[in-house]
Amino acid sequence: MVRLALQAMATRFELVLHGDNPIALRAAGEEALREISLLEKQLSFYDSASEISRINRKATREPVRVHARVFALLKSAQEYHRLTKGAFDISVGPLMRCWGFAGGSGAWPDAKALLEAHAKTGMHKVELDETQCSIRFKQPGMLLDLGAIGKGYAIDEAARILRECGTMSALLHGGTSTMIAIGAPPDSPAGWPVAVAHPANPSKAMATVRLRDESMSVSAVSGKSFEYHGQTWGHVIDPRSGQPVQGAVLAAVTHPSATFCDALSTAYLALEYKEMEQITSKIHSIRSLIVYRKGEELELMTSKMEAAPNVDLNGIHG
Amino acid sequence: MGKHLVSRRAFLIGGATLSGAGLVRAANIKTRHWPQGRAPVTCAVIGYGPQGRELASTLGRVPGAKLVAICDTYEPMLRRAQRDVPSASRHSDYREVLDNTEVQAVLIATPTHLHKDIALDALQAGKNVYCEAPLASSIQDAKIIARAAREASQQIFQVGQIYRSNPQHRSVFQFMRSGAIGRPAMGRGQWHSRESWRRTSPNADRVRALNWRLDPEVSLGLIGEAGMHQLDVAHWVLDELPSAVHGFGQIMAWNDGRTVPDTVQAVFEFPSGLHMLYDATLASSFDDAYEIYFGTDSTIIFRDRGKAWMFKEVDAPLLGWEVYARKDKFYKETGIALLANATQLDAQNQDPTEDDPNVETPLWYAMQEFMDNHAFGPYLPAASWERALEATAVAVTANQAITTRTRLEIDPALYLLD
Repeated sequence: MVRLALQAMATRFELVLHGDNPIALRAAGEEALREISLLEKQLSFYDSASEISRINRKATREPVRVHARVFALLKSAQEYHRLTKGAFDISVGPLMRCWGFAGGSGAWPDAKALLEAHAKTGMHKVELDETQCSIRFKQPGMLLDLGAIGKGYAIDEAARILRECGTMSALLHGGTSTMIAIGAPPDSPAGWPVAVAHPANPSKAMATVRLRDESMSVSAVSGKSFEYHGQTWGHVIDPRSGQPVQGAVLAAVTHPSATFCDALSTAYLALEYKEMEQITSKIHSIRSLIVYRKGEELELMTSKMEAAPNVDLNGIHG
Repeated sequence: MGKHLVSRRAFLIGGATLSGAGLVRAANIKTRHWPQGRAPVTCAVIGYGPQGRELASTLGRVPGAKLVAICDTYEPMLRRAQRDVPSASRHSDYREVLDNTEVQAVLIATPTHLHKDIALDALQAGKNVYCEAPLASSIQDAKIIARAAREASQQIFQVGQIYRSNPQHRSVFQFMRSGAIGRPAMGRGQWHSRESWRRTSPNADRVRALNWRLDPEVSLGLIGEAGMHQLDVAHWVLDELPSAVHGFGQIMAWNDGRTVPDTVQAVFEFPSGLHMLYDATLASSFDDAYEIYFGTDSTIIFRDRGKAWMFKEVDAPLLGWEVYARKDKFYKETGIALLANATQLDAQNQDPTEDDPNVETPLWYAMQEFMDNHAFGPYLPAASWERALEATAVAVTANQAITTRTRLEIDPALYLLD
């Protein structure tokens, strides 16, 4: 077994590979992780030399030509936006800023500022020109941030390289929230066992999922939040309402594509149950688990995924 | 060995007027507009490994460049090419690219020892050529390519010694030449990375071909594949070429049957008496890559793809502008940021102490210079065959010194064509 790690995209990527030839396994792993570093440079919101920063600087004034792969990724992001009826949106940046979650821990926004920010949000206001491979904003002041799917995309691209190099068994994750499994580990032919942490008690498992040639992404409302009028407001904004999501606190989604998993787990925090059902009935390869908060209790919704036996539904740890 | 003759025209594009001590502040990064109505230069990339991909990706952003063909002998690389640049045709034989009369320029990014045949055939076919550095894995091959490039004086031949085209480097170069560091006393450089340098493939023949950097028959090792870019900058800013090199090489981290050292040190002796110490390793990534020039008045460090800082001695003369310049902390030292475009930013009401968001990568400027040469040339580029021959001769000799752990004199004749 060979293990490698990389610090990129503000998180730690870790890769485990199984096989007979550790020298070749490491070589494959290094090439895969190099691809992630390369994509970080192209996709970073914070690096002023990235393709995304160039778009954000210039796309209001003129169409910005981008690399074919970046274009394909933005096109996917627009498709996911349509599929999730706007719940997944990489242009949510102005709203995040308005709610004080960009670099801060959040604050109740000014109503007028919120309206303005909402007007600058929406992937349907981004024009993608396939023939020119270019991007243009129809609304001034828009911002694209691939934070929600960049990691999934990097993981997909790294896995593609691992397969090209002949890797038969590997698990790659970014910050433990997005992962892809190639084949299965030698001692577990059904797949790589992965636990979904309990939202109120991370040391316990909400579910254990087996992944084989499949990805999983887990999104959760945790970390940054603030109190206002006796209610807690978390850092995940529903781009449609412009408000922090209320309801779902955790969403785990599996699918062969890590990019799609990333987008869907983000959207599932904002979507109504019925909307989710519509997506799941269209795309059969999705498995999912959603946790809602109902007062002090947790409520579970699963699709083709089983919760851990005797799962604790107490929403308040301790 | 004479002064380096940089084409004056090429030099002025990124350069600046000298005006005494404030010259770094006055140096501007100027990008010329591609002439209106002029058709773009049709380019082909030969060799689609990591460097070929980087070239292709950069060409997509450079005005006046149009990538129309990509060549590689390995199918998975061509599949990558299809996803990266769907509009470019794909080829497994480079002669197909050379036979294509629509291709004006070829960019060669194959393993170093395969440059020669492709470069010679490309010049023969009338193409303009950008060849990755080092130029070749032997001085003999480097001279053959350099001679062909010299003879094809109506064609462009630029090498991948990219810092030669980088406005940031050009500006610091002028600064050092103006005497701001006092008397240069010593140089030091490093390239540190934690990686095995191995490549793999399910196909056994490919594994051998992909691992050319670990094949002692053809590889110039760390000093050739990583160090030569930094040493090229040393030749440039010090304005002299080494007369001798003492080398050491060890296998310290990757004892996997390889014979090419994973850790090397070299001391370069220059005719002025100055020595430059250089080390490279695949064992540790600590502090990445940089070059430092120590002078009696100040020390200058280059790092992070062409950024530079100056550290002044307390008794050094006051330059004036440094009072206003951005300062960055390096543990207990304070570095004065040498920003190439500070004056231009001032004029545009941008904060001159911030990094300019419009600064491109060194490779971008190298590509831009290559394209500009099509529109305004042909002239001898800053990274010419002469600079390529010099840098390759240094790298080959240093690698010999490292593998034999000896001191080797460098005959100045190695730097020149007959």
